[in-house]
Amino acid sequence: MSKKTVLIVDDDAWLAELYARVLQKAGYITHVSPHAIDAMSAIDDVHPDVIILDVLLTGNTAFTLLHELQSYGDTGAIPVILCTNLAADISLDDVKPYGVKRILDKSVMVPEDTVAAVRSVLL
Amino acid sequence: MSSKRGTHEQLVGGMLYDGIPSLVAAAHELKSPLALVRQLSLLLEAGDITPDEQARMLRQISLTSERALRLTSDLTRATRLDDAMFALEPINPQQLCIDIAHELAPLFAAHGRRLSVVSRKHPLLLVANRDLLRRIITNFSDNALHYAEADSAVEIQIRALQKGEIIRLGVRDYGPALSSDMWRSLKSKLATAPQTVHARPQSSGLGLYIASQFADAMKGTIGVTRHRDGATFYVDLHASRQLPLL
Repeated sequence: MSKKTVLIVDDDAWLAELYARVLQKAGYITHVSPHAIDAMSAIDDVHPDVIILDVLLTGNTAFTLLHELQSYGDTGAIPVILCTNLAADISLDDVKPYGVKRILDKSVMVPEDTVAAVRSVLL
Repeated sequence: MSSKRGTHEQLVGGMLYDGIPSLVAAAHELKSPLALVRQLSLLLEAGDITPDEQARMLRQISLTSERALRLTSDLTRATRLDDAMFALEPINPQQLCIDIAHELAPLFAAHGRRLSVVSRKHPLLLVANRDLLRRIITNFSDNALHYAEADSAVEIQIRALQKGEIIRLGVRDYGPALSSDMWRSLKSKLATAPQTVHARPQSSGLGLYIASQFADAMKGTIGVTRHRDGATFYVDLHASRQLPLL
């Protein structure tokens, strides 16, 4: 079975590096984008199977990217995992229409939670 | 479609753009570095990492902690502005900026970025409180570090305005341009200062609010200039009439 690709969109380079490290160890290919504009290019280039997305990004927020993803049939089908410090303020029901499947709270999660979340949305 | 847009405005607009600096903003700003330190620590605890990786992660923990501590220190200082006396003195900003660039060099290097001072042939003097001015420029530099593109340089620029009456210290980053909507929001908030001045959506604006308070205490103002490839956050202060010794 071919390796799945995870696109990590987070402007905290060290946190993104940490997620990438854990996911690579679990057998995933990772790509990091620091902001939404870069992420749109990356989506065309690497065709991710899953996107891990921070909410408050440099430049446009995650919601701009989510709107963009929903504008196209193929990108709209990519499962999104929100990974944010604002998890307590976001209801999964509210963001499901954006393609969001899981929400991870950065302040309480453990690094391996990214692997568990990716596995669960790929089932 | 409308429900999606509503969620966006409620989340980003309500929580972070219209609020006033408060404990909530401070908590938000401190949450990111604390979350990073915690996750790095958990990974270290789990083991199974090379000595090089371990050293790198420990360095990231110490540098991230220092950034968080700077914010708490600024916050404490800002709350005591009203009842404190601040000595204003003639300062050579170039030397101060060189000191700051030197102090922050390890942090910038760890992020793969550079902080440099654009030198002037003829030094300028301004009137300021050394500690507050240092905090403002450090704050702008920290902000620029976060938004500058990888491998890019952040520049501290010093220039004279209004026939030398005003000295502007600016921190120029090369990153994503501010969108027109964000720019309008930022300019509007700057025009009606003092209040929260938001840099970019990722930030609650607390750092810039504190910087504006510090500038105000020195009879100065802060502002921002948008560029096609980034932004310059600056503080304008009165020039010193004392002749430079050099």
